[in-house]
Amino acid sequence: MTDADVDALMANPAIAAIKADNFPAHIALRAILRNDGRIVSFESGDIVVREGDYGNSAFLVLSGTLRVVMPPGLSRDLLGRQAPHKKSLLQSFAQLWRNRRVPEVRDAARYRDIAAHARRSKSDVNTHVFIQDVPRVLDENRTATLVAGDIFGELAALGRVPRSATIFAEADAKLFEIRWQGLRELRRYDPGWKRRIDENYRRNALKSHLGAHPLFKSMEASALEAVMDRVRFKTYGSFDWHVTYKQMRESGTEGENAQEEPIIAAEGTVPDGVYLVRAGFARVSMRLGNGQRTVTYLGAGDHFGLNETYGAWKSGEPIRLQHSLTALGYVDVLRVPVSVLAKHVFPNLAESQIPQDVRIDRAIKDDAFVEWMVDERLINGTQAMLIDLERCVRCDDCVKACGSTHGGNPRFIRHGFVFDGWMVANACMHCRDPVCMIGCPTGAIHRHETAGVVVINDDTCIGCGTCARSCPYDNIRLVEVASPSGDLMVDEQNRPIAKATKCDLCVDQPGGPACVRACPHDALRRVDASALLAHDIVTSG
Amino acid sequence: MRAVNRNSLLVWGLTAGAVGALLFWRHSVITKLGATAFVTGYILFGLMVFLALYNTRKKLSMVPLGRASSWLTLHVIGGLAALFIFAAHIGTFWPLGLAEQVLATLFLLVSASGALGYYLQLWLPGRLARRGPEMIYDRIPAELARMRAEAEAAAMAAADVSGYDTLGRYYVESLAWYFARPRFSLNHLLGGRRPEVWLRRRLQTIDRLLSDGERVHLKRLEELGAAKTALDAQYSLQTLLKSWPMVHVPLASALLFFAVWHLIVVHVYAR
Repeated sequence: MTDADVDALMANPAIAAIKADNFPAHIALRAILRNDGRIVSFESGDIVVREGDYGNSAFLVLSGTLRVVMPPGLSRDLLGRQAPHKKSLLQSFAQLWRNRRVPEVRDAARYRDIAAHARRSKSDVNTHVFIQDVPRVLDENRTATLVAGDIFGELAALGRVPRSATIFAEADAKLFEIRWQGLRELRRYDPGWKRRIDENYRRNALKSHLGAHPLFKSMEASALEAVMDRVRFKTYGSFDWHVTYKQMRESGTEGENAQEEPIIAAEGTVPDGVYLVRAGFARVSMRLGNGQRTVTYLGAGDHFGLNETYGAWKSGEPIRLQHSLTALGYVDVLRVPVSVLAKHVFPNLAESQIPQDVRIDRAIKDDAFVEWMVDERLINGTQAMLIDLERCVRCDDCVKACGSTHGGNPRFIRHGFVFDGWMVANACMHCRDPVCMIGCPTGAIHRHETAGVVVINDDTCIGCGTCARSCPYDNIRLVEVASPSGDLMVDEQNRPIAKATKCDLCVDQPGGPACVRACPHDALRRVDASALLAHDIVTSG
Repeated sequence: MRAVNRNSLLVWGLTAGAVGALLFWRHSVITKLGATAFVTGYILFGLMVFLALYNTRKKLSMVPLGRASSWLTLHVIGGLAALFIFAAHIGTFWPLGLAEQVLATLFLLVSASGALGYYLQLWLPGRLARRGPEMIYDRIPAELARMRAEAEAAAMAAADVSGYDTLGRYYVESLAWYFARPRFSLNHLLGGRRPEVWLRRRLQTIDRLLSDGERVHLKRLEELGAAKTALDAQYSLQTLLKSWPMVHVPLASALLFFAVWHLIVVHVYAR
């Protein structure tokens, strides 16, 4: 952004309404606009955001018209998604002779079709996928219009939730794109932006979040509305936690900064409400000796401080928090104030209906595994590849099976995080918080429609490497692809064509993950981190 | 302790019952002077073909043919059952004909190598996990080469500190042998501590000739030596785990080939 860009932006009514004096000197409004924003141009038909994508930025429309596609949304072809497909028994058997001697062979003809839908720029990350027949899309879909002055994308940017709708440029449009950091500062220091963002959130997402929690599930609509009006939301930690986490891993200091995690609620204080985790992760810990003992971690849908708050309401005496709650990287939290709970929630619930907070019932000697999972952020995984090293005979049958089901190249490395005879291998964990999905310019990396696992559409992947760089666990790899004749495929500039690859959990294979089926000693499992800790699958000695 | 699977217990029970019934039938027929060799022979041959299919299952990992662990359970139970059927089939301690002796020898070698492999698979993974560091087998040589280069650099660097080549010369005379390639493989397999003792003695020998500045580099050599010892152990144990199928599978192939030949010969000459 040049000074002229910032000047022009400052003249825009949506920005001009912001009182620059409210911002502290070290976070000046101009600096935010310059450092955290950019002006982006879209041509007619260009897709700006796709439904289901994760993003870390919001947009202010400066000029032009955009269309929001209402449910059921655009077809998967237009969004660059992969059609769910499962191989038949015969097709899976045919891989025996269809797999080529050269790995990563692709059909180049398919790429030519896809290339016709992408507007490449000098930088891969600025590539736009466009809709060729805009009038037809407008005819076939219900749409809403966005014009100059409208803001969109802020919920996904601040709340780490998937984009709820696809938005494309109807006519040539100019947008101001602002990163989550800048957006957070605007919300913090400008009451107008705060009101706008919060109202939008209350209108669009809060009801579904509260309604999913057992505490509010059976509430009457009017009472729920009253609760919604008083709920406060706040974001702790860094949205880009994966960047700092990677730096910590490289320096070998992961787990050493637990004391510096942003505190959401401190042990020993009287709670000012119940905390509901909306996105991200938080650590529940308690003081022990001179340190903090990790009790557990909380993810989306979990709550904190309910037992103390309920106990205080029932007894009339204040009860202090038994544990601390701190942000693990990044967490988005809702706080339901005590007064609201006392008026609308607790009187209508029997004691048996109050969900219990986490309890610690393990010995200190068994803490190490939990601490390790939390410190290494392995809690993010829903399908982590866990290998029992006391059973694994290192035969690599899992690797060979993966290779034979993925065109000759395995999608994981039997190597990774090791702890006390257990290994979490370098295989995609299909994370709860899939940071790899942020910033994909073509939407190639996405959640599978039916299975929910994170997959990459090879046809629309342009090999920019954004996902591979974002993955905190180094579980995505770029491979150079070959033509059926075995020659390296190259683009117009004679550069090798690369594709991002990772474990897809054999979503198109009958029988589930080949790695699990291939292990002769049942040493390899795909596990959900929360189930792993909750059910004590890994037992300590 | 591995959990005993209920299904595998059922298979064990059913197989034991089937083998028992076969042996009982054979005994009752023999007491009436009947012939049982054709029946037991064909059952044994069928079982051997089934056992060989386990390796085919490994090659067909892209096809949903059930879990490899179930196949391994059946492979082990079938292999044990084959021993009893083999004994029933030959009906004596050792066959008389040369061809039958070759066949029997192959059978016993395949059985023995299989049993040894199974034992190794139960025994070695725990030792590998406890010993650490966990490293992919194919990466070990490169890691050893990296350690060797670092050790050589440390030995050379000592000369820069003191102006004497004492440590460098000693490295060439003694320690270079250790860093050259994996050493003490058998001792690692047996779980011995000979490499540690060897290394400690060598390091103690030179320690008294070095200055404090040189000892910093000797300390680094000691660390590298300890790391290499652990990696050597990984290499030895993993080599053994990867090697035994190289004996078992070719022998099993030869056994199947001779079994087919035996079948043809029996049919030709039994007419």
